[in-house]
Formats: sequence, C-alpha cells, structure tokens
Amino acid sequence: MPDGTLPVLEVRDLKTVFQTRSGEVHAVNSVSFEVKPGELLGVVGESGSGKSVTMMSLIGLLPSPPADVKEGEVLLDGLDLLKTDINTLRDIRGGKIGFVFQDPMTSLNPVFSVGFQIMEPLRKHMNLSKPAARKRAVELLELVGIPDASRRLKDYPHQFSGGMRQRVMIAIALACDPKVLIADEPTTALDVTIQAQILELVKDLRQKLGMAIVWITHDLGVIAGIADRVMVMYGGQVVEQAPVKELFSNPQHPYTRALLETIPKVHGARAEKLNVIEGQPPILGAEPTACPFRDRCAFRFDRCEQENPSRRIVGKDHDAACFYDFATGGPLRA
Amino acid sequence: MLDDAKQPLVRVQNLKMHFPIFGGLLHRRIGEVKAVDGISFDIMEGETLGLVGESGCGKSTVGRALLRLYEATAGEVIIDGADIAHASPEELRMMRPTMQMIFQDPQASLNPRMTVSDIIGEPLREHQKGSAADREDRVLELMDQVGLNRDFAKRYPHEFSGGQRQRIGIARALALNPKFIVCDEPIAALDVSIQAQVVNLLEELQDRLGLTYLFISHDLSMVRHIADRVAVMYLGQVAELAPRDDIYSKPLHPYTQALLSAVPEPDPSIAEATDRIILTGDVPSPSNPPKGCNFCTRCPQVMDICKVKKPIFQEVEQGRFVACHLFENNEATAANAASEV
Repeated sequence: MPDGTLPVLEVRDLKTVFQTRSGEVHAVNSVSFEVKPGELLGVVGESGSGKSVTMMSLIGLLPSPPADVKEGEVLLDGLDLLKTDINTLRDIRGGKIGFVFQDPMTSLNPVFSVGFQIMEPLRKHMNLSKPAARKRAVELLELVGIPDASRRLKDYPHQFSGGMRQRVMIAIALACDPKVLIADEPTTALDVTIQAQILELVKDLRQKLGMAIVWITHDLGVIAGIADRVMVMYGGQVVEQAPVKELFSNPQHPYTRALLETIPKVHGARAEKLNVIEGQPPILGAEPTACPFRDRCAFRFDRCEQENPSRRIVGKDHDAACFYDFATGGPLRA
Repeated sequence: MLDDAKQPLVRVQNLKMHFPIFGGLLHRRIGEVKAVDGISFDIMEGETLGLVGESGCGKSTVGRALLRLYEATAGEVIIDGADIAHASPEELRMMRPTMQMIFQDPQASLNPRMTVSDIIGEPLREHQKGSAADREDRVLELMDQVGLNRDFAKRYPHEFSGGQRQRIGIARALALNPKFIVCDEPIAALDVSIQAQVVNLLEELQDRLGLTYLFISHDLSMVRHIADRVAVMYLGQVAELAPRDDIYSKPLHPYTQALLSAVPEPDPSIAEATDRIILTGDVPSPSNPPKGCNFCTRCPQVMDICKVKKPIFQEVEQGRFVACHLFENNEATAANAASEV
C-alpha cells in the first residue's frame, strides 16, 4: 500500500456460480480487490462481465438458488461477510455498507413516503427515536441537495424527478454513515446534464464524509472524471487494475486498449472510422481454462488457448491478466 | 444551406406534435403535451442529420411524426418531393418504400414468432410482386450486406445477441431500397464494444447505397462521429442547428454549451482540466412550458427578455441556426445584453 492505510473492504478469490436449467454459469471467477478508506474504486465492464454480481455476492443479496457463492473471502474491517449469520449481515447492509442502485424508480418503494424510507435504516440500525430520525433525515436530504427538505419528507417517490430520486437513494445509503458505499450504475438511467449534477454531488460528499466508494459503470467517461483507481472486468474476471491516470495513459491489457480506442470523443480530434472489437463477449458455461478475451484479442498466441492468465504486476499499483507483454512488445516469457 | 446545388431530400416546416391530455370526471381534454412545438429543418441527399437532446425533449416524436407514424398536429413534411403530412392512406402506402425506420430496442421491434427470413422478407411480400424464390434470394443478399451469416435465416430473434438483432432490424429497413432512414437510438441498447460495430455498418451502407439518415441519439460523442450536421433539441424545439465541426468546437446556444460540457470525457487529464457548466434544476414539463424562451428556467446566461419573448430560430452564421436572444442581431436590446454577458 502506498500510504500504509489498511483497506476497509477486502475481497479475495470470490467465485459465484448460477445454476440454470441450461447448466452452470460461472459469473464471477476468482475476483480479488480492496478499497481503502476515502478511496473511490471504479469498476468498469460490459453487461455480463460480472461487475454487479460481484457486488451483490459481497453482502449476500443474490437469491440462492440459483446463485451460489462458492469460494472466497469478503473482509469488512476483518470480519468475513461470507461466514457471518444473516442477522449480522442485515445489520451491515444499509449500516456499514450503503448501496445505490441503477434505477431509482424501482429501488424506492412507491407506497411509502420518502421520509419513511430514509428514516427506516436510522431507526433499525442506529435505534434513533422518531424525532431524532426525522431530524437526521432532513439533514441528509439537505446534504444531497434537495431543496425544501423538511416539507419534501412527506412526498412519495413519484413526486420526484429522476435526478432527485437518485439523490434520495444516495441519502438513504448515507443514512448510517457507511464505511463503504457501493454504487451500481447510479447515473446510467439519468440524462447527461443530470448525471453531471450527481457526479458533482458525489465528489463533494466524498470530501465531506471520507467513506470508501465502489462505483460500478460501463461508461469510461464517468470513471475518468471520478475514480482514484480503476478495475476493468471482462468475462467474470478482473483483467486490469490501475490508478485512473495510469490506466488511461498506459493500458496494459488488450481489452482495455481496445475499449479505449472504440469510444468516440466529444472533444479533441475526431476519428474517421471507429475501431471495432470484433465478436461477442464469452458465455461463461464452465470455469475458464483459457483467457476469456482470446477470441476477440489482436495479440493472442498459443498460450492464451491453454491457460487462463492470472494477474501480474506490470507497474506501480498496476496489474493486468495477460500473457502479452506490452513493455517488450512480445509474449511474456514463461 | 450547405450546398445550393443539392436539393434537400427531406424538408420539415414548422412541425408540431401535441398529444392531448384527458382528465376529470367527463374525460374532457384538459390540456396538451407539446412534445414537438414548431420545428423546421432540411436534410440533404446522402447526408446524416444528428438529432440530439435529453430524454423527453421530443426527438423520437420528431422521427415518428416524420414518417407519419403519428398524425402531426400541424406542419409540413416533404420527403423526396412527396407531401407526407397530407397524403391519403393509399398514397402514403406507395411512399413507404422510400422511407424506413430502425428502432431502439431490437428485442421489442422484432416479432419473436417470426424467423429472420420472414422478418426481413415481410416488406418484400407487402410491397413487391415476385416469387418466393426471388424473395428468398433478396433476403440472403440483405443478410450478407449487414454481416449476418446466411445459415441463420431460419432462426428466431431470441437466438441472436443484441448487436445481431440490430443487424436484422437494419436488413429489414434496407429491404425495399429506401432513400431515407430514421435511426431512432439504434445503439442505445447495445454494449460499448458492439456499438462501434453497428455504427460502422451504418456508415458503410450509407457510402455504398447513398442513404440519407436522421440519426436520433442522446449520445453526443457518437453523433459527433456519424453526423454531418447536428440539431440540438430542448423541450420540443430546436435550440441550435449547425454543421458538426462548428457545433462541437464552438457551440453557440447556452444549452448546447452546457450539454457538451456535461458529457464525461474518457480521459482523466481532460476531465480534470475542463470547467463544467452544471445546469441547475430539471427540464420543465412539456405540458406547461415556461413563457418566453423554453430554456430560461435553467439558462446560466438568462436575461429579462428571455422570460417574456420567445427567441426566433434564425441563421446567425453561414449554415448555423440558433434560437437564442443572445444572437438576435436585429434587436438592439438583445445585442446590447449579449455584449454585457
């Protein structure tokens, strides 16, 4: 660790398998990562890359069956969440770990007022009295920038716009001063001008509150503006992990490179033709014995068919799961 | 316009699309949603016009009203010399082959009970005489054109991935050799790595077949890639219309400026350096738009006149149209106010 602080959340070798009628799906394969207090870890990947399933597995939010968290350790301040009983886990959800989901309409309950939904975790986890919880709820709504907060407590979710609903979700997630905030595509359903508002809010809140944030998205632009460190996922595994500037200036995995080349930009030079990643993402029917990206990779060679590369150090705080060595411009010597 | 020698293939004049709101005990008409409120533009032959805006601004409604999938409230739509807005049903049917549409959600726009060859062949059955064998040949030819394997002709849509389904939708749109295609968010439902595949295909087809596109999207970076000219919509009206490079390098309308600055840039050094314009508040309801300029409630450069008088959509530079009081040259007051900002 560069600054010696201990990670608040540490995940080691997490494996999640779904049992479906057409066989097993290995959605998450040996995913390891950690987040330090005050850090914002960005998780990037396409749909089906396992980024959301990883986060849901952490706190036991996946229904079992069909999901089965097979292996791994999830350490929150030294406590292994995969081995704790359901009551402790319930205390942690919404307590030490806050969650913000993609769609604020479906994650808020339409038949309860917003005030009730913000006060619920305060009453459950912090045993606050009703007046105290109400006072805190007003503070939280003011914190996330909802005007006229005390009056709006009585309002129902449908009376808020999309951006405002997402602010309410953030207020709920922040209610019990979580150590870790997990945000799963929190701005994907929002328009760009509203997304910009929410991103500013989160930057501001981080400075005020200093919690660790895990931010899941498929949008590399969002990541570039907000993350300290980035983890790129593909086919249920982590393929690259690096500090944000390093990742964008010096990507070391062919997938990250291709992804950065395939997105058009609003500023700077305009590409005449877009670079294309040919083919489709893999279907994870079995535990991978080869590199999941090999079929679409421009740098593949024999070894990629035979083994699944594990993550190796390629720079300071930077690792990539690839047998190709961009430093020497050739295959890694075994 | 851009090039006087070229005739516009599509000409839209003062198009309005108001949806009625019914309510109350007797279910009377109590108001209307002004989804599209008086917009005009031309699209040249072989050109791609990008239509951008946030959700609810009316961009998809424009696309649908253009092909008369909605009955427009007012206005004129001329496609390839034919008056679409006032054509009789029989006339309209004769015109359908020249204008086609590609939809956003390939899952919802393909019939799950029809095979790929039925889906692509349906417009041929409807509009052309010919034997089944001829149709079959044409379907396979179309599948080649969009990069679908001929062996999959008898499969059903659910057996394909999102990107491939969108290719089926494109093949269906191409079946009758159209001149003009409305692409309504054709890549919004696709993954980043698949988006580029579909956009490149659309560009290739345009070069090869001389197609004209109206490309509707909320993705400003992709529109910059594919469009020749760009129209920015806000609350049912066009705020700015200009050639692509002009609008992206020097946006004039305050809304365009805010919209472009809000797009997250996939480069940490640029993201750090840029000063974002953060708009406050939300888009007003189109059933009750603000008086004066419809952007006046959120505009960072709002003036007194904006709250009273609606700005005129007019040409301020060669080929650049803006609806904003900051650029209304013929009004001395507005010009003075603009210089003070």
